[in-house]
Amino acid sequence: MTEWNFLLVATLALPLAMVVACLHDAFYARILSWLPLAPVPGLLAALFERGDSIVIAPAPLRLTLALDDVGAMLLGGASLLWAAAGLYASVSMRGKPGSGRFAIWWLLTLTGSLGVFIVADMTSFYLVFSLASLSAFGLVAFEDTARSRRASQVYMALALVGEALILFGFVMLVSATPGGNPLIRDAVAMLSGSPLESPAVLLLILGFGLKMGLVPLHVWMPLAHPVAPIPASAVLSGIIVKAGVIGLIRFLPLEVPSPDWGMALMVLGLLTAFYGVIVGITQEHPKTVLAYSTVSQMGVVAAVLGAGFSTGAPGTATLAAFYALHHLLVKGALFLGVGIVGATGSRNLARVVIPMALLAFSLAGLPFTSGALAKFATKPLFGDGLAAFMATLSAAGSAFLMAHFLGRLRLLANENAGAVPQTSLVFAWALVAAASLVLPWALFPEITSYALSETVSLKALWAASWPIAIGLLMALFIQRIHSIIPRIPEGDVIVLLERLQPLAARCGIALERTDLVLRRWPVASILLLTLAMAFGATLQFAR
Amino acid sequence: MTPAAYTATEGGALLVVAIVLPVIGMLAIFALGLRRAERIAYLVLPGGLLVALAIAADVARSGAAVTYVLGGWQPPLGIALRADGLSVTLMVLTAVVLCAVGLVARGSFSTPTDKAEARSPMVFWTLILGLWCALNTVFLGQDLFNLFVALELLTFSAVPLVCLDGRRETLQAALRYLLFALIGSVLYLMGAALLYGAYGTLDLAGLRLLARNDLATSVALGLMIAGLMAKAALFPLHLWLPPAHAGAPAAASAVLSALVVKAPFFIILRLWFDVAPQPANAMAAQMLAWLGIASILFCSVMALRQARLKLMIAYSTVAQLGYLFLMFPLAMASDAPTAWESVGWTGGVLQLVSHALAKASMFLAAGLIAEALGHDRIENLDGAMSVVPISVAAFGLAGLSLMGLPPSGGFVAKLMLLTAATETANWWIAAAILMGGILAASYVFRVLNRAMAAPSSNFACKASIPLYRELTVLGLAICAVVLGFVPLQPFAFLGIGRVGLP
Repeated sequence: MTEWNFLLVATLALPLAMVVACLHDAFYARILSWLPLAPVPGLLAALFERGDSIVIAPAPLRLTLALDDVGAMLLGGASLLWAAAGLYASVSMRGKPGSGRFAIWWLLTLTGSLGVFIVADMTSFYLVFSLASLSAFGLVAFEDTARSRRASQVYMALALVGEALILFGFVMLVSATPGGNPLIRDAVAMLSGSPLESPAVLLLILGFGLKMGLVPLHVWMPLAHPVAPIPASAVLSGIIVKAGVIGLIRFLPLEVPSPDWGMALMVLGLLTAFYGVIVGITQEHPKTVLAYSTVSQMGVVAAVLGAGFSTGAPGTATLAAFYALHHLLVKGALFLGVGIVGATGSRNLARVVIPMALLAFSLAGLPFTSGALAKFATKPLFGDGLAAFMATLSAAGSAFLMAHFLGRLRLLANENAGAVPQTSLVFAWALVAAASLVLPWALFPEITSYALSETVSLKALWAASWPIAIGLLMALFIQRIHSIIPRIPEGDVIVLLERLQPLAARCGIALERTDLVLRRWPVASILLLTLAMAFGATLQFAR
Repeated sequence: MTPAAYTATEGGALLVVAIVLPVIGMLAIFALGLRRAERIAYLVLPGGLLVALAIAADVARSGAAVTYVLGGWQPPLGIALRADGLSVTLMVLTAVVLCAVGLVARGSFSTPTDKAEARSPMVFWTLILGLWCALNTVFLGQDLFNLFVALELLTFSAVPLVCLDGRRETLQAALRYLLFALIGSVLYLMGAALLYGAYGTLDLAGLRLLARNDLATSVALGLMIAGLMAKAALFPLHLWLPPAHAGAPAAASAVLSALVVKAPFFIILRLWFDVAPQPANAMAAQMLAWLGIASILFCSVMALRQARLKLMIAYSTVAQLGYLFLMFPLAMASDAPTAWESVGWTGGVLQLVSHALAKASMFLAAGLIAEALGHDRIENLDGAMSVVPISVAAFGLAGLSLMGLPPSGGFVAKLMLLTAATETANWWIAAAILMGGILAASYVFRVLNRAMAAPSSNFACKASIPLYRELTVLGLAICAVVLGFVPLQPFAFLGIGRVGLP
């Protein structure tokens, strides 16, 4: 074990140790102030460690950690956002009832969400994935209002469905390999050609797609992300959805061309990209608009992965991760910014809203921002056909949605015209915002074969600008007809599903009645004898 | 006719000690005065644990079953006891659960100092010991009639535990339990008689060599397995279990749910793999699995709809028992050379063990929560976290195992069953395992959600719970979680003594 390997272990061990330390009352009382430190080992690991793999427990357990380029990129971005959001939370959550509990859920979610980027074996991946998924429930449910209770219930139900889908997919993956707990890459390498390939890929796309919020499994996201406290929304929408992205990257055999599945994933992704925009545009609350924007952006990431998967293009994983990193930082900064706007009076508003606009349009690929780089880098994957056009058009959709977001955002400004947010809150926000602008520039030459100058050529600038112009025009137009567009409730199709609740309740009552009947003496006795005879007859006659 | 001869192995006498030690304890309680019941039990419990561990060590070291032939008389005249890897695992499990239950029960069944003797402590401790003797006999017995006697002893020790408090409802529940268990016994006895008529022996090893595919064997197995299912309360024969397990005092419920219902299942396992003519009937195995699936789905939904915590846990027991019955088709259809080298069989046994630990912990935790709050209505559990945090944590950890989330024994067990279902293309079983996990998560979270809510304004704590009781419950739950770190493959230990059956 080299000295840096220690960092990889500490990435998971430090937050867990903090949770354990909470058993001590004095530490528990001050746990909030420690939150920004929890992701520090992850950040250092992402900077200094690459390609090492450590076996924590030898075979047959094979708990293995490893950090490749894709993992390091996302680990670094996620750790940074966790640290900044932790700083934000340590100030904004102070003194709130239940903040200690919040901190524990926070640390557990943090452990899981960083874990998915660095574990290399199947069982540990499932473990950390579940940890992130299920602990986030505590963040969603924190406010304890009717709205958050509904959101957290929907979240939990769908998260469990996702877990089941993924587990089943994993079992199919593993059944092709000998031994108990294979490394992810070994299992994926064995997948192609196995008789269970298609169902396994389907289950994995569904399971991880649910985490990413791909239509129609996105319904939990617009409910869950807005109800959490601001810093929690930032990490939920910025980081936790990336567990789905890394899942697809790790578990799909991306280098093996798979035209059918790739095409299916791309279509699903593009559909999601537009769906998120269309429903998001009807939303009132800026946080809900941002949640729908996450749905839409994850659709783009899925489309990138699908496009690469269909041709088996090398480097798809890195490019998708690069796009995901851009979204992680920008969306994190936008959510934290919503909190900053809420604490800022109208007099100082411009100083916050202008950077927010920059961040928002970065999602649409505004030139000179990380979005432009991400879109530029991933564009070749889509080829020249319809897919490329649709992907470009999705940028127009993003611009449209973000213009709507900025319009709604201004209404959140503090009533007190002179109000200024606390410095540490601003610092946390500015840190992520600055990182989102700078980091992708530093990484771009490493992950693509293009020179940076190509991204600012006239042709590239034009390609990045016109979708935004279209988006803005659409926003202007929609303002005219604002009053006649229908209001779609948060979570859209979930509302239809919830109409089935009385039916479910009736089924439950019917089952209870059945139980009462089955548990009557005559019925149970007859059943017992019938079973004895049926069993005997089966043994005798059915061979 | 002596088709197979048992040879006593070194250290076999320990098997007798495992069975006789609890009996000595019971006799000592009557001889030395009922007041000392608890103290005597505290001597016997760790002693029994040591004996079980010693036998386990013996089996592990020698890699072969430990056998003892009483008085040197070979079956069918004499009685043979035999501990293979599976039975010794269950013996250790039983000892661990009983010791934990004994510790937690300390407060609730002490004889009051102002009285010479009291009914319920004496009955509780005597019956726990009787039950232990019965369980060990079930695990070690090699003869269908001995197993019958052990099962009856088990039933008669378990039934009074249900109605310890003497309330009307619990008496009713106990009577229900008794009658239905007796009907099950009658079916079992009829089947045993048929087998005796057909083969002239009741010795398991002998039957294994002789068993033919004929009408008498089929009818006998049908009767016996159905009777045992009634005793194990598999859906739709679960009429007695929810009121009995929910009505009993928590310490008793823990033993009933964790251990007592597993004994008839263990005998079904014996009948299926050791007696039934091989290769076993695939259709019949599917039938058992379908009952298991129905049990998982139906009773999980019922658990979700219960208003009282203990009833919820009781229904969950029926649901979790369903998983055990999935192993019959899974163990048969696998590529493994023998059933007990298959992933399905190992997963089933692991489910048995982890469910026992988790369920015991859950019932005990529910008991402590009810003691502290004065009730066990799920709707009003708010504030439990602030009064008995360790018990709520234990409940949550045990719940992790029931849901099948990592890291826990339940996760590994269900993962193995799911793997086996996938490998043998039993898609319905796979779907039921996944669905059961989601339902279990729903009912566990429903409780945790309430228990972790802030207490309401008129909240009052009824009793303070000593720390050691809470920690014991947590210890059991942690055992269930630690089981999650076993490797994901068939264990050689569970197959010891099975490959070369005498």
